[in-house]
Amino acid sequence: MMAGGGVRFLVLLLVVAICGAASVIQPISDSHRSAALDVFVPVDGSYKSLEEAYEALKSLEILGIDKKSDLSSATCENVVKVLGSSSSTLKDAFYALKVNGILKCKTGDAVPKDIVSQLQVGVKDAKSLLDFYYAVRGLVLVKEQFSGIDLSLGDAEAIFRSIKALSQSDGRWRYSSNNPESSTFAAGLAFDALAGVISLAPSEIDQSLIQTLKTGILKLFDSIEKYDDGTFYFDEKSVNAHESQGPISTTASVIRGLTSFSASESTGLNIPGDKIVGLAKFFLGVGVPGDAKDFFNQIDALASLEDNRFSVPLILSLSSTVISLSKKEPLKVKVSTVFGSKAPALSVKLAQALKSGSKDSSVINNQELKFDADSATYFLDSFPKNFDVGKYTLVFEILLDDSTHEKVYITEAQTKVPIAATGVISIENAEIAVLDSDVGSVESQKKLDLTKDGAVSLSANHLQKIRLSFQLTTPLGHVFKPHQAFFKLKHESQVEHIFLVKTSGKKSELVLDFLGLVEKLYYLSGKYEIQLTIGDASMENSLLSNIGHIELDLPERPEKAPRPPLQPTEPYSRYGPKAEISHIFRVPEKLPAKQLSLVFLGLIALPFVGFLIGLMRLGVNIKSFPSSAGSAISALLFHGGIGAVLLLYVLFWLKLDLFTTLKALSLLGVFLLFVGHRTLSQLASASNKLKSA
Amino acid sequence: MMNLSRSVALISLFLLPLLSFSFSIDNPTDRRVLVLLDDLSLKSSHSIFFNSLKSRGFDLDFKLAEDSKLALQRYGQYLYDGLIIFAPSTERLGGSLDSKSIADFVDSGRDLILSADTSASDLIRGIATECGVDFDEDSSAMVIDHSSFSVSDVDGDHTLIAADDLVKSDVILGKTKIEAPVLFRGVAHSLNPTNNLVLKVLSASPSAYSANPSSKLSSPPQLTGSAISLVSVMQARNNARVVISGSLQLFSDRLLRSGVQKAGSPNQYEKSGNEQFVTELSKWVFHERGHLKAGSLVHHRVGETDEPAIYRIKDDLEFSVEIYEWSGKSWEPYVANDVQVQFYMMSPYVLKTLSTDKKGLFHTSFKVPDVYGVFQFKVEYEKLGYTTLSLSKQIPVRPYRHNEYERFIPTAYPYYGACFTTMAGFFVFSFVYLYHK
Repeated sequence: MMAGGGVRFLVLLLVVAICGAASVIQPISDSHRSAALDVFVPVDGSYKSLEEAYEALKSLEILGIDKKSDLSSATCENVVKVLGSSSSTLKDAFYALKVNGILKCKTGDAVPKDIVSQLQVGVKDAKSLLDFYYAVRGLVLVKEQFSGIDLSLGDAEAIFRSIKALSQSDGRWRYSSNNPESSTFAAGLAFDALAGVISLAPSEIDQSLIQTLKTGILKLFDSIEKYDDGTFYFDEKSVNAHESQGPISTTASVIRGLTSFSASESTGLNIPGDKIVGLAKFFLGVGVPGDAKDFFNQIDALASLEDNRFSVPLILSLSSTVISLSKKEPLKVKVSTVFGSKAPALSVKLAQALKSGSKDSSVINNQELKFDADSATYFLDSFPKNFDVGKYTLVFEILLDDSTHEKVYITEAQTKVPIAATGVISIENAEIAVLDSDVGSVESQKKLDLTKDGAVSLSANHLQKIRLSFQLTTPLGHVFKPHQAFFKLKHESQVEHIFLVKTSGKKSELVLDFLGLVEKLYYLSGKYEIQLTIGDASMENSLLSNIGHIELDLPERPEKAPRPPLQPTEPYSRYGPKAEISHIFRVPEKLPAKQLSLVFLGLIALPFVGFLIGLMRLGVNIKSFPSSAGSAISALLFHGGIGAVLLLYVLFWLKLDLFTTLKALSLLGVFLLFVGHRTLSQLASASNKLKSA
Repeated sequence: MMNLSRSVALISLFLLPLLSFSFSIDNPTDRRVLVLLDDLSLKSSHSIFFNSLKSRGFDLDFKLAEDSKLALQRYGQYLYDGLIIFAPSTERLGGSLDSKSIADFVDSGRDLILSADTSASDLIRGIATECGVDFDEDSSAMVIDHSSFSVSDVDGDHTLIAADDLVKSDVILGKTKIEAPVLFRGVAHSLNPTNNLVLKVLSASPSAYSANPSSKLSSPPQLTGSAISLVSVMQARNNARVVISGSLQLFSDRLLRSGVQKAGSPNQYEKSGNEQFVTELSKWVFHERGHLKAGSLVHHRVGETDEPAIYRIKDDLEFSVEIYEWSGKSWEPYVANDVQVQFYMMSPYVLKTLSTDKKGLFHTSFKVPDVYGVFQFKVEYEKLGYTTLSLSKQIPVRPYRHNEYERFIPTAYPYYGACFTTMAGFFVFSFVYLYHK
C-alpha cells in the first residue's frame, strides 16, 4: 500500500504540474466562472441534497455569479422543511442553515426553536467529531442568522476539552474516541468546531487551552507536503480510511478550520507566510476542477485565504511566458490576490534573469519594473542589450510600499518564473554541394534560399559525397544551435533517412559520404527527395523546406544485404470496392443459317419425290391386295401397325422419352409379328395357288 | 458471515439477467465501462469527457488501476463491455489484471480506450504493442513541433501540438467536420506496418519529431514527420475497437476548454477541437456508430420467390441482402453504393456491386455461370471505420439435364428430313412390294 500511495502521489504531482501550466500560476479568472456554470448544474431546478446545494450556491456566490433567483424556490422549500421538522439529522440541519445563510429563506425573529434545541442536545450528547462539528457550527449559524435567542452552551470549557481530547500528538485528529485512525481532514473540522465553541462561549475560554491548541496547529504544519516549486498542501496519510478525501478536500478543510479559528480568536496565529502562499499556489495550480466537490473546496478555500485574519497571499502572474524579442513585447507582470483583486501599492523587482543551461551570471540584476496604473500591471519595456533568445529563469521580488501592509499581506520571498524568449534567427550562406570523394573537389554547388521550396536537382553516385551547410545567427549575432536540424532523404518507395546537421564553430554542416551509407540506404538507387527542417523553441521562423531532389546511383543490392523495411500502407486504399467481375460464358458453336438447312432439307426430300415419280413411271399397282375380307383386314392392320411404329418414332423425336417409346414399341412389335405373319402367310398361300393353277 | 455471502449470492442471482442484457448482438453499444485511473483526481480533471459518456447512458465504474479487487470477469462472464485505461504510469494492475487479460478482453470483442503519456509504463506500452502500436522507446521523449504548435503553449518548448491532420472518415469522427485543431501534449507512436487493422486518426505534421525537449539531440530521432501518430484506432477482426492515444491530456478538461490558435495561422478558435474529437471518437469506439448488421442472404430465380435448393447453369437469379447500421439507439437502414456480392467457388466467378433502395435493402441480379459445382454467395464488406460484414451461403450449381438441351436444331433439319423421307418411302414401298401385280 505504501508503494501504491507513492505512485499515486507522483501522479498527482504530475497532474498538478501539468494542469498548473508548469508553475505559472494565474489567479481565478473568467474561465472559472464559465466552468462553474457547467459544474454546478442543478437537476430539474434543484440539487440532490442540501449539501450539494450549499456547495453550488457558495461557489457561485464567491465567484460573483447570481443564480440565486433561479434556484431559491425549490431549495428554500427544502430548507424550510428541514428547519421546521424536529426529526432532521444534525447534518441536514447544518447544511439547511448554511443554505439559509445564502438564500435568506427564513430570517429575523422566526427562530426555528426545534432545531436550536436539537442542536443544543446534539452538542451535549455528541460522541464523535462530526457530531460536534455539525452541532456547534449549526448553533453558530443560528446565531448569525437569527436574532433574539438564547444560545447558551452550558459549560463551554467542558465541550472544548472533550473535543480537544480527540487530538493527537502530531497535530492530527481522530473522528471519535473509539476510532484510533487519525486524520488531517478531521483536524480542519476540529478547528472549525472549536472556533465555534469559542465564539459561542458565554465567558472567555481559558487561554492555556487555546495556547495548547495553537501549538497543535503548528504541529500539523510540520506534516505539510511540499513540491519543489514552493507549493504546499495537506494530504491524508492513510488512504484506506477515507478514500474520498483527496488532497484538495483535506487542504480545504484545514484552511477553513484555520480561518474560522483565527476569526474567533484575538491573539492571532503565527503561520509561516511561505506556507500560506504555498497553499494558495496549490489551489490555483489545480486549474479548473471538473468535480463539483473539488471545485467548491478550491473556491471556498481560496476565499478563506483571501479573507482571513492572519495573512492574505499575493500571487505574481505573467500574462505570457513566451516573450517575442522580434515583436518587442514588454514583459508584463501582475500582482493580485488569489481572486485577481487589486493588491496594495507595491513594487516589483526583477532580481535576476538566469539563462538556463549556462553558468553565466545573471543577465539582468535588480531592475525595478515600471507600474502602469490603468491595467494594474508591472512591466519591463525594454530588455538589456545582452538579452538574447533562449530560456531564462526570472526571479522576481515583491516589496510592499506600506510597511503596515506587511502584516496583512504575505508574498513569496522570491518568485521564480521560467520564460522563453523567442526571436527571428537569420539563416545565411545555405548551400548544398556534391563532392568527389577522393579528391574532395566540388562537382556541383547550389546556393539555397531556404524560405522557399527550391527545385534543386542533383545527381551523385556511391563514390561521391553531399555537403549541406548553413549559418544560423541569433538577433545578437551569436551562433545559434537549433534543437531540430534534420536533413531528410526520402526515396520514391517512401523509405526515409534522417541525418542531424551538427553545428561546429560558426557553421552548421552535414557531409554525407554515400560510400559508407549504401548499406543504410538499402542499395536503393533512384530519386530521393531532400527535405531540411530547422526548428527550435526560441526560433520564430522555424522552417520545413523541400530543397529538391537528388538522383542517386548506387550499386546493386547484394544477396545478404538487409531489405528495406515494410512501409505502412495508406488506409484509404486498403478498403473500398473491388473491380467487378462478370463471368465469360462459353461461346455456342457456330451454326449455318436456317435457310441453308431448309434448302438442304428440300434437297433431301428430292430422292423421295424421285422415288414416287419412279413408281408412277413403272406403273406400280396394288392389284394383289387381298380381296377377301379377313385377309384385307389383317393386311390393313399390318400396315397400320407399321405406320404406328413409324408414327411412334416421330413422337419419340417430338416428345416421348426412350422408355415410353420402347414400351410402346414392344407392344406394337408383338402385334406386328402376329398380323405380319398372318398377312404374309396369306399372301404366300395366294401366290402358291396362283402358281399351281 | 454466512448471511452476507448468501445475500451476495442472492443479489447476483437477481443481477444476472441484467448483466447478460447488455452488449447483445441486437444492441451493440457498450453499457458498462470500467475506468482505470492511476489517481482519482483524474475523475475531476477529465470530468467533461466522463460526463459526456455518462450523459450518453454509459455506466462508468471508476477504479484505481492498482485496486487489489480489480476483476474483469466473474464466473466466466465479463463484468464490463468497455475499458478505459487512463493510468499511464501504472506499472502493474491490481487484482487479476495484466496485459494478457486485457488482450483477452479485446479478443472477446470488447472495447478499449488506452491513453499513454510521457513516461508511460512498460505495461501500457505492452498493451499498445499488442494492438499494433509502438510508442517511442525513449521514455522522456515527447512530440515536438516547431511549426504547428499552439500559441497558448506556456512552456515555450512547443510540445503542445495543434494537430489538424485527421483521418477522413465520417464514421470515426462524425459527420460534422472538426474545424479547430486538436491540442495534444504527449508521446509519439508509430504503427506496426505488418498490422493492417490499425490506422492513424490524428497524425503529426511533417515538421514534428519525437525527442526530449530539454536535452540536445545526439542521434536522429526514431520517429519524425507524419509517420508519427498521435491517436490511433484499431478494429480487430471480431469488431472489437481500440483507441490508443499518446496523450492523456488530450481528454482533460483543460485542453477541452482551452482556446486554440495554431502558430503562424490567423485562425483563432474559442475552443479547441478536442471535445468534439474525443466525443466522436468515443462514440465510435463504444459502437454507437459504424456498427453494421446484415440480415440473411436471400436469392431466387427471376420470377420466383422461393429459394431453390440448386441452380442450373445459366439460370437468371436475383440476390438481395438487408443491411442496417446501429445509430446508438436503433437500427437505421444503411445507405452505401459499395456493397458487393461474390458468386464464389475457389475464386469469385461473379463480383457485382449491389444497388440499394435506401431502405436498407441491397439487391442485384445476374446469370449463373456455365460452370457447375458448389458455389457460395459471399458478402464481405470492409469499409474504413465500419464493422466488417462477412456472410456466405452455399448453393450447388448443376449442368443441363439430358432433356434440357435444345431439341429441334434447324441445322439438323436435313438429317430429320432424311429420316422421315426414308420412313415414308419404306411405308410406300411396303405396299408396292407386297401388292404389286
